[in-house]
Amino acid sequence: MNVEMTGLTRRFGRTMAVAGVDLHAGPGVFGLLGPNGAGKTSLLRMMATAIPPTSGTLRLLGHDPGSYGPRREIRRRLGYLPQNLGYYPGFTLAESVEYFALLKEVPAARIPAAVAAAVERVALGGRAKTKLRALSGGMLRRAGIAQAIVNEPELLLLDEPTAGLDPEQRVAFRALLRDLGQRATVVVSTHLVEDVGAACTRVGLMDQGRIVFHGTPEDLAARGEGYGSGDAPLERGYSAVLAGARS
Amino acid sequence: MTAVRAPAASRPVPAGRGPLRAAAQLLRLELRHNAMLWMLPVAIGLFWFTTYRKAMAMPPLWYPRAATLHGGTLLAFAFPVAGAAAWMGSRDARRRTTDLVTTTAQPRWVHLLVTWTATTCWAIVGYLGCVAILYGVTARQASWGGPLWWPVAVGAASLSALSAAGLAAGTLAPSRFTAPLVAVGAFFALALSTQPIQGSQSYWQISPVVSGPWDDGFDPGVATFYRYLPDLSIAQLMFLAGLTIAILGILALPNGRSGRWLRRPATVITTAGLLAAGTAVALAGTGKLDAHGMIAIPALHDAANDRPLRYTPVCSRTAIPVCLNPAYTSYLPATAAALTPVLNEIAGLPGAPARISQAAATYRQDAGNSISVGMAGPSLSGTPPVFRMLLPFQLPGPTMTTSEFAAAVRSTAGVDIVADVIGDGPGATPAQRAVAAALRTSAGLPEEVLRSAPTRQRPNGAIVPLPAPVRSAARRFAALPASARHTWLVRHLAALRAGRITLAQLP
Repeated sequence: MNVEMTGLTRRFGRTMAVAGVDLHAGPGVFGLLGPNGAGKTSLLRMMATAIPPTSGTLRLLGHDPGSYGPRREIRRRLGYLPQNLGYYPGFTLAESVEYFALLKEVPAARIPAAVAAAVERVALGGRAKTKLRALSGGMLRRAGIAQAIVNEPELLLLDEPTAGLDPEQRVAFRALLRDLGQRATVVVSTHLVEDVGAACTRVGLMDQGRIVFHGTPEDLAARGEGYGSGDAPLERGYSAVLAGARS
Repeated sequence: MTAVRAPAASRPVPAGRGPLRAAAQLLRLELRHNAMLWMLPVAIGLFWFTTYRKAMAMPPLWYPRAATLHGGTLLAFAFPVAGAAAWMGSRDARRRTTDLVTTTAQPRWVHLLVTWTATTCWAIVGYLGCVAILYGVTARQASWGGPLWWPVAVGAASLSALSAAGLAAGTLAPSRFTAPLVAVGAFFALALSTQPIQGSQSYWQISPVVSGPWDDGFDPGVATFYRYLPDLSIAQLMFLAGLTIAILGILALPNGRSGRWLRRPATVITTAGLLAAGTAVALAGTGKLDAHGMIAIPALHDAANDRPLRYTPVCSRTAIPVCLNPAYTSYLPATAAALTPVLNEIAGLPGAPARISQAAATYRQDAGNSISVGMAGPSLSGTPPVFRMLLPFQLPGPTMTTSEFAAAVRSTAGVDIVADVIGDGPGATPAQRAVAAALRTSAGLPEEVLRSAPTRQRPNGAIVPLPAPVRSAARRFAALPASARHTWLVRHLAALRAGRITLAQLP
């Protein structure tokens, strides 16, 4: 298992953002759905080792991120795209990706090829020398994905990766997700159920800090049969599960 | 709750190799995108405006130029360096890249260290560029001596410490206001750090803008007759290095920026840095103004530095040679020209000096920050007699033009030479006063220069008018042809000096 968590919680003051999540995931694309404030981003940040859990156990890529050495090993093999993607506007796209490749300890000799490959995979090869401040919002999102995959991560965490992408790019991105999911565990947090339907092999639905559903996209769609709210089967399933969890 | 159960991927792990090469590549990127690069024109502009022009108005001597460079450049660079470092330190928070950077394998501390290195590199490149310009021009103007590197080293270490302090402030309190606040704070901290200095035994001398006795100005006499004492510079370097290490160590202490393997040595390094800085401050407090105008710290003092420098003086071709330290070669023509009328009057007289020689000034700490600068021993001594003099530049005072300099030489050394040869001083006879006044008049000097003893109301004394009979005799003697005066003096100077000549006996 690349991701193993048991009874994982995260508290911010009086707010319980993640309230006892159990999750195990191996290679494949795992979609994390949920309304705003469900705890998706907090869960992803814990998996990204950005914040420690308040309680529970977490093992990533076979290591305990609570200790420095194993955490460093996890980070070498981790890719992370935060929801609020920051960037250095003066860097070119290639420099930015190279910078994070260096921080991720990609062997120096491999960096030029890794940077070129990552930039190509997000279809920004022609913009490698463009400064980030000159890129559009969608291009910046793709630049963020490029930095996340530059180290060929075994665990890739993407928080709202398709926000700001045009339909054509979203289609291309889903293809990229499927490809990455062949070898790595990809966890995608999103509001867009069509992304889940098109790219994810498994899906989890979070509400109020808990996972209230897990299964395949087909299972989720099946939950919505006969439920009136929503235009598509997955949306109906999403709404039905949330309504059930809250009732 | 279980989602997918499938075997985890097993691929070769891209382990970190060649950390030095990676660090060099990171440094290259940081150098290319460092805020200090953009602040360099500001720093260099400030240097030109506040330091270079001031230094160029000073005599072409190494110490005053180095001291001006040291203090002025540091103040010119303090604000841009601290501000740029704080800006870089707060970058991840401002750019919302903290999570991205934190979740990489490199410890955050290493990342900060690379950022600090890049900022410091640019600051030092700019600083050394300014040093090269000022020292280059000085090398072309100076006639003797060489550049002083201790103040330059202190300046470079100061920039490293300022950069570390700025980075720490930006990292620990990230905000868009941090950089300007730190920049202003650094400037005022440096500028005000000298205010509490009282005398040479002050802990505040550790302030990196101090290069010698505070409030004494950049005395040109320092480091021409004696070596530049590095005692205070060594203490300052120790302080700045300790401070820099401690600040950088502190950045590694918070959990998350490094592992336990790094936090333990960081704690040791921080403690060692603080100890070094504290020790340096204590050492600076034991400093004492030495006789040659520099701060000597007993624990750091090398007695070899107390030996006078060996040099071959440069001498004029006047009736009596005027010899100066070669560092003052450019002032020889003006000095010789100013003294020539006096020297023509006394040349060949019994007891007249065989040479006029520039002496080293001696310094004594008085109450507070005041310092007495003078000359040790009698001005006329030795066999054959040598008249020792200080140039006006060796005494505290404002910068002079060439004509002001010549006037000052005439009114000090010129008057003293006549007084020493004739014996005109406290207790002089009326005849001695009259002859001295006559020689002064003949040499173009003021007739009345005799000064009363200093009093509390008039610490420099006051001009005491010559009594009428003395003035009359002086004018009579001065009216004689130069050859007649000279012949009379050759015959009667010994008796005149012994007080056996009366006013009536003067021709």
